[in-house]
Amino acid sequence: MIQSKHLLFLFLFLFLFIFSSTFTVSGNQGDKNKHYTISGKITDKTNGEALVGATVFIRELKTGAVSDVYGNYSLTLDEGNYTLVFSYIGYKTHEQVIILTMNIALSFELEPYQQQLKEVEITSEKNDRNVVKPEMSTFRMDIKTIQRIPALMGEVDVIKAIQLLPGVQSVGEGSSGFSVRGGSPDQNLILLDEATVYNASHLMGFFSVFNNDAIKDVKLYKGDIPANYGGRLSSVLDIRMNEGNSKKYEINGGIGIIASRLTVEGPIQKDRSSFIISGRRTYADLFLPLSSDKALQNNKLYFYDLNAKVNYRINENNQIFLSGYFGRDVFSNGFARMNWGNETGTFRWNHLFSKQLFSNFSFIYSNYSYFLGTPDGNNNSFEWNSNLRDLGIKGDFSYYLNTKNTIKFGASVVYHMFYPGQAKGIGAQTVINEVKVPNNYAFETGIYGSNEQRIGEHFTVKYGLRLSMFQNTGPGTVFHFDSSYKAIDSTIYKAGTVYQTYYGWEPRLGLLYDFNAKHSIKASYARTYQYLQLAQNSTVGTPLDIWFAASPNVKPQIADQIAAGYFRNFRHNTIETSIEGYYKWMNNVIDFKDFANLILNNKLEGEIRNGKGWSYGVEILVRLNEERLNGWVSYTWSRSFRQINGINDGNPYPAPYDKPNSVSVVLNYILGKRWSIGATWVYATGAPVTFPTGRAEIGGKIVSIYSDRNQYRYQDYHRLDLSVTFSGKQKPGRKFNWDLNFSVYNLYNRHNTWSINFVQDNENPNVTYAEKVYLFGIIPSVTFNFHFNND
Amino acid sequence: MIKKFRHIVVVSMLIAACTEKINVNLDSTYTRLVVDGNIASDTATYQIRLTKTADYFFNEPVPPVTRASVFLSDGENIFPLAETKPGISGIYSTDSTFVGKKDKTYTLHIDLSEPISGESAFDAICKLNHVTHLDSIGTVFEPDWGKEGIWKIKLWAQEPGNEVNYYLFNLYRNGKLLTDTITKKVVSDDKFYNGSYMNGVDVIYLNNAHKWETINPGDTIILQMSGITEEYYNFIMQVQQSGLNIPFFSGPPANVKGNIDHGGIGFFAAYSNSFAKTIVHR
Repeated sequence: MIQSKHLLFLFLFLFLFIFSSTFTVSGNQGDKNKHYTISGKITDKTNGEALVGATVFIRELKTGAVSDVYGNYSLTLDEGNYTLVFSYIGYKTHEQVIILTMNIALSFELEPYQQQLKEVEITSEKNDRNVVKPEMSTFRMDIKTIQRIPALMGEVDVIKAIQLLPGVQSVGEGSSGFSVRGGSPDQNLILLDEATVYNASHLMGFFSVFNNDAIKDVKLYKGDIPANYGGRLSSVLDIRMNEGNSKKYEINGGIGIIASRLTVEGPIQKDRSSFIISGRRTYADLFLPLSSDKALQNNKLYFYDLNAKVNYRINENNQIFLSGYFGRDVFSNGFARMNWGNETGTFRWNHLFSKQLFSNFSFIYSNYSYFLGTPDGNNNSFEWNSNLRDLGIKGDFSYYLNTKNTIKFGASVVYHMFYPGQAKGIGAQTVINEVKVPNNYAFETGIYGSNEQRIGEHFTVKYGLRLSMFQNTGPGTVFHFDSSYKAIDSTIYKAGTVYQTYYGWEPRLGLLYDFNAKHSIKASYARTYQYLQLAQNSTVGTPLDIWFAASPNVKPQIADQIAAGYFRNFRHNTIETSIEGYYKWMNNVIDFKDFANLILNNKLEGEIRNGKGWSYGVEILVRLNEERLNGWVSYTWSRSFRQINGINDGNPYPAPYDKPNSVSVVLNYILGKRWSIGATWVYATGAPVTFPTGRAEIGGKIVSIYSDRNQYRYQDYHRLDLSVTFSGKQKPGRKFNWDLNFSVYNLYNRHNTWSINFVQDNENPNVTYAEKVYLFGIIPSVTFNFHFNND
Repeated sequence: MIKKFRHIVVVSMLIAACTEKINVNLDSTYTRLVVDGNIASDTATYQIRLTKTADYFFNEPVPPVTRASVFLSDGENIFPLAETKPGISGIYSTDSTFVGKKDKTYTLHIDLSEPISGESAFDAICKLNHVTHLDSIGTVFEPDWGKEGIWKIKLWAQEPGNEVNYYLFNLYRNGKLLTDTITKKVVSDDKFYNGSYMNGVDVIYLNNAHKWETINPGDTIILQMSGITEEYYNFIMQVQQSGLNIPFFSGPPANVKGNIDHGGIGFFAAYSNSFAKTIVHR
């Protein structure tokens, strides 16, 4: 009953603001003016891919619209004559004069700049959305930008690129985990075509699961999270897959030192439907049979990714997409077998109800599973399985009411199925009993509405509200713990019962004041709830860490973040600058007791300790979009703390991601028609760490007595990477193109600390010393990329 | 076993990391009492060692705590312990006739002659748990595991199903203790075997490349299986994890939790033993 009342409130709220904005519009403009809608789709002329975030600017009104993730835009204006300017970074700007006396459908194909550089006329309408959009704490990168960043072993990586942004910290050298504005790595929602990716790591995190050939566009929200997203405290990383070339067949591929890639795409029916299929596999182990070491010959160690997508444009108003991802890491040797990976699937129906009301409906599947075991035939033979599966349905609506109001609303339901772990003996000889952590199930629901409203000449306000709800449903087993976290008894719930319901109101607010589109100030507030978390108390984690849900014993985590910033563009928007400050409060933050047992533990909830966290910082960003030179330079000053009952005697301590000063320089320079160079330099204060201050001798071993939590720091981290790309000669009409990329990771061979161990000397057991572990010295690599089309 | 297996697998996947010795400046901390010793169900002389903590890079033998008054009680009787070299050793031993009784709870009392960080009286309590009968043991050599092969020590015993048990394993080679430091000892709970007949379960792996701690055909080996408390099991697990910092799965470092009150460190353990002997065959 309570829930339905809340839903009613939300609908009322939605209705009220839609009504009020309509009212404001008519109030301002009177009833005499007729207004009409211009709408359509903005795509890439060469391959038909929808362009996300392209700008349609109306010169006369100094306002405009931005295309959504499907490339659609809509503008409702008064009757009159207008000059529309279509623009997108890396594409030629197009101007078109229209006489608006009726609704107009105007789709447009933008043409990308070719490699050969021409003197390009810089127009004042170049993208100024950094200044004029009421959106802050976000960063969008297209895949071309990411591909120019020098990469570890030549494997271009979305997550590694994200880690170079201000406010984002890597959790460890070479790791795919990242912390956003002092949050934990599991507080980031990672979406691939709307499906949650629960573990973005391959090979212990050295590579992420995102094959760059299959990816179109990446957007990170570090704060100011729009109301249509929910479920994580700190960030949303929204990754969209390519749709496939709808005009011609294309083959792209690459051969690197550890992996090769191949992508095939093309039209099924020209301009109407297309497909893309993209695969990647590492092949270090293919050489193992050649090894002289007998033990190594049967070892396996590889990962693969397969991305596939088809889309079909039924008519102007309907388009459907089906996309999937399958990836797995496989490892085996004489005594162990292990594999893990994600599968996601998304079916989407994009429907335009009218020129102003767009919608999208999605059905989403996501699964993360792992397996660990021994060969059978032994009395200790066993296998261990775990998985987490989601089934979801989602509807999102955008209503482009007029140039002053854009309303969004929608709802989603996800059914989570947790199979945390089951280990059992296999084969006839085994003596191992079955150990199983009970399965559990939950519904996660969200409903939201928001409006972006322009008030007067300079002021824009974006306001929204999300209601999230989380319900544990049976069958399930809930343990009851006493005040010292000992399980006393348990309750078993039958299938179909809802045994715990949490809900949260999540207001989102953004304010913008722009000074004649040259510079602006912005502020935002967002509250976020998180109902799922990772049982991981190590800094980097392994693929065997499991996700667990809010429950009668685990309260949802809640965060409030405020941010304010100043944004200014220079040189006709080719240089974007911003400075942002933020403060974030987190409640019911999860940590684990000392020496927690998180593996195959059916009383995991007794290992949890709760508390609060807070973080704050200032991020300065200069982003360059010059014709030859692009990239960014950023500096971040930030702090992050935790205070958890039962940890560090209840005193506050620096979070593991507290690195007060960090700098990233990411630059790419096009030298000429065939050469380009890229360089990355990163610097960060050393991560906080707990070191021993005393020793006790117990059982012949020197046992450490530790400082307070995280009272020391590793040495500062810094690293320079460099890459040089040499392209084959390009001529119009040439079907085969190639480039060769040389890259060097850690050019000046700094031995950055991965961990420090305190070791007891073998010769003299009274002597202890500190030993630094580092993972990578200087690592050169070479990658050959090719592109073939049937033009 | 399965949990350790996870560590082995993950570590073996690690691309060879590099290490180098470095200098780290560490602060000092206040001194604590350290208690280290045990009693068991066999008639023997048992020793309890008392020492003080020192700064981490002290790099000399830790100072002994001498001239303390130490005694054991089982709730009915008192057993005094005497310092082996009074004023020098800090090692306190029972009579050679001492025998721990199964399922009794023992308290170790310590009164210091000089207080350590303001405390001079310490107690530690431990129940002496029983243990199942060890029927027999055996060895298997796996030549393909590791560089020079691995020896597996297997055991045969009935695991009691009506209780939660924790085990400690020690191995003797030709009368000499091979598992001579706490990090080499093996502990296990009964999670995967509860109530089963442990029909040749692997309990200890010996790396044949480590000549000083492996076994050879012809050696006489004895496996000691001890029934320990959950608290002692956790303590040994914590000591074994402490100091190891592998970012993949090491939790934040923390002080090990023993059973000495008033801020003392270490453990006073009590357990019962079951032994089995075999001669190693290839």
